[in-house]
Amino acid sequence: MKRTTLAAIALAVTAGLGLTGCAGAAGPAEPQSQDGKTRLTVSVWNYEGTPEFKALFDGYEAANPDVDIEPVDILADDYPQKVTTMLAGGDTTDVLTMKNVIDYARYANNGQLQEINGVVDTVGKDDLAGLDAFDIDGKYYAAPYRQDFWLLYYNKELLKAAGVEEPKDLTWDEYTALAQKLTTEAGGKKVYGTYHHIWRSVVQAIAAAQNGGDQISGEYGFFEDQYNTTLELQKSGATLDFGTAKSQKTSYRTMFETGQAAMMPMGTWYIAGVLQAKKDGKTDVDWGLAPLPQKDSNGKVSTFGSPTAFAVNKNAAHSEEARKFIEWAAGEEGAKAISKIGVVPALQNDAVTDTYFQLEGLPTDELSKKAFSPDETALEMPVSDKSAATDKILNQEHDLIMVGERSVADGITEMGKRVKSEVLGQ
Amino acid sequence: MTTETLPPVAPAPAPAHSRGNRKQARRNTLIGWTFILPNFLGFLAFTLIPVTAAFALSFMEWTSFTAPRWVGLENFQRMFQSDTFWVALRNTVVYALGHVPLTMALALVLALLLNRKLKGIGFFRVAIFFPYITSLVAVAVVWNMLFSPDNGPINQFLNVIGIAETPGWTSSSDWAMPAVIITSVWRDMGYYMILYLAGLQAIPTELYEAAEVDGASPWQRFWNVTIPSLRPTTFFVVVMLTVSSFKVFDLIVVMTNGGPGRATTVLSQLIYQEGIGEGKFGYSSAISLVLFVIVLTVTVLQFKIQQRRER
Repeated sequence: MKRTTLAAIALAVTAGLGLTGCAGAAGPAEPQSQDGKTRLTVSVWNYEGTPEFKALFDGYEAANPDVDIEPVDILADDYPQKVTTMLAGGDTTDVLTMKNVIDYARYANNGQLQEINGVVDTVGKDDLAGLDAFDIDGKYYAAPYRQDFWLLYYNKELLKAAGVEEPKDLTWDEYTALAQKLTTEAGGKKVYGTYHHIWRSVVQAIAAAQNGGDQISGEYGFFEDQYNTTLELQKSGATLDFGTAKSQKTSYRTMFETGQAAMMPMGTWYIAGVLQAKKDGKTDVDWGLAPLPQKDSNGKVSTFGSPTAFAVNKNAAHSEEARKFIEWAAGEEGAKAISKIGVVPALQNDAVTDTYFQLEGLPTDELSKKAFSPDETALEMPVSDKSAATDKILNQEHDLIMVGERSVADGITEMGKRVKSEVLGQ
Repeated sequence: MTTETLPPVAPAPAPAHSRGNRKQARRNTLIGWTFILPNFLGFLAFTLIPVTAAFALSFMEWTSFTAPRWVGLENFQRMFQSDTFWVALRNTVVYALGHVPLTMALALVLALLLNRKLKGIGFFRVAIFFPYITSLVAVAVVWNMLFSPDNGPINQFLNVIGIAETPGWTSSSDWAMPAVIITSVWRDMGYYMILYLAGLQAIPTELYEAAEVDGASPWQRFWNVTIPSLRPTTFFVVVMLTVSSFKVFDLIVVMTNGGPGRATTVLSQLIYQEGIGEGKFGYSSAISLVLFVIVLTVTVLQFKIQQRRER
């Protein structure tokens, strides 16, 4: 008898443990923090290394003492997968940060986000750069607060040493010649004229923006010139070879900050990075900004970029508060808050631009200022349910062209063939 | 066999004569169940149910946001028509064909070398085993540096010994898979060496003495005593290695992430990309079902071959 009782107790305890374990995991988030403030949760990536989040949260809390913002910190590399898993599990995080527009389209089309046309209207449709990417049949499910675009970083010292004042109004041909001229090797230290990071966008998104090409069309003839330019740079040794950069996981920051590369096409997010590195004394690079080199020398600047946005979760615990936060973050107050740390806000008006250029350490020459107002900023990758699958194929084929295993023509043909058969179903 | 002379470890259960005995037996069973219950619950929740669900999911379309939709064999149809699936399958098989025999051969050679009384033998054994307990990410990153096409030590060494046309290793479609195989063999051989060492030490010395008396050469002793006596170990090693080869994922993700192009994309990686990456859980479950069938078939075949040999 005694033994049976023992067994029964053991059984009950284990079963009970299992159940409470489950209940604990699925339990609802506490709606109010203890001091009566509303606790607003926001999904973010790499909170420590992405200072814009802290700038926004601190600013909003100061303006709204009754709100306590709690970041839900997620590893940057796993961000889309983790958010997908959270949403599928009915998570109640209030504000979801949209790291890119492809993921945004996926969540919005699956009905995971609340429509926030009201918020977008209040902030001002005309002043929000990159807003078009969030338009789904006239409805907005997110509002961009940050808009990054690509420009050319350059090392003023290295250019001066080579007798070049500044990389002004360059075409790709002039840029290539300049990069070759800037490439030197002295005392065992190699300086590359430029550094092209391994991302396919460095070739493909530039080609799409400057030729008006469509990256999910399955027709990729418009990549050709840009590939030839990039391969020529690589062949002449004016940039680090792709295979080495990829297998060594070369950091573009190190290349630029240690003066191993005299120029570098890169996104505006790196501005905050250089500023921080200089402030921490990790580098003393004297840097400037220039517009991205162009296909034609007609003075018009076309580049590409991608916005970052906030959205309200369909299952948000505090929908109203979430909207208010987004209105603030995407609006002028939020824009000024992130401008102060060198992040380019989506909201562009004179007040915001002024705040941005008051930033300490930012180059103030005319060319750098000009680099900040490109005539046209195309979206890095068109938004569609085919974007993710197309992106994968374009990446794989990009590798093969860059390591020299496929000729440019063959690579372009293969991309088209694979995208058509595997993604577009033709 | 020596084991035949030993008494059985556990007494055979007594036949249940009376009601009391039967009750006692039931009680014992119940207690036994309660002991394994905590562990079994975990297994149930995190392995058995998901695996069963994956079987069902492979016949459905599911993005994780909406309810799954039954699509029959559509996922399989798509898979067998997909070029990438066949590329990944071929890469997986190539990896297994390289990884299994090489690891086995090297593990055996090392075990033979280290199965003798030498000064400092413990040090060498630990040194060979070390890679296995090192973080896999660290291993992959360091080997990537060694394989660097321009200034990596491996290619510099090849230059020194007179090979001018050095391979591009992880930046070349032809050499990326060999590079991954070399790394994984280096990492795994220590573990399997330990298994072989245990096997070697279980071979009774009388067998060697008898063979020597009969005038067998060292080579003959190796072929006719060592190899047959190691058969159970070899069987275990082959099964473990094959299964682990077919589900290789981590090393490839860190070293090449399936590239360049699709040169090292393997099935488990494809399952991850399609499922977690793109949210096509039905399609990725279908691929995992195929992987499961392949591993099951290969393992069953190996058991059959082993049984025939033992007869």
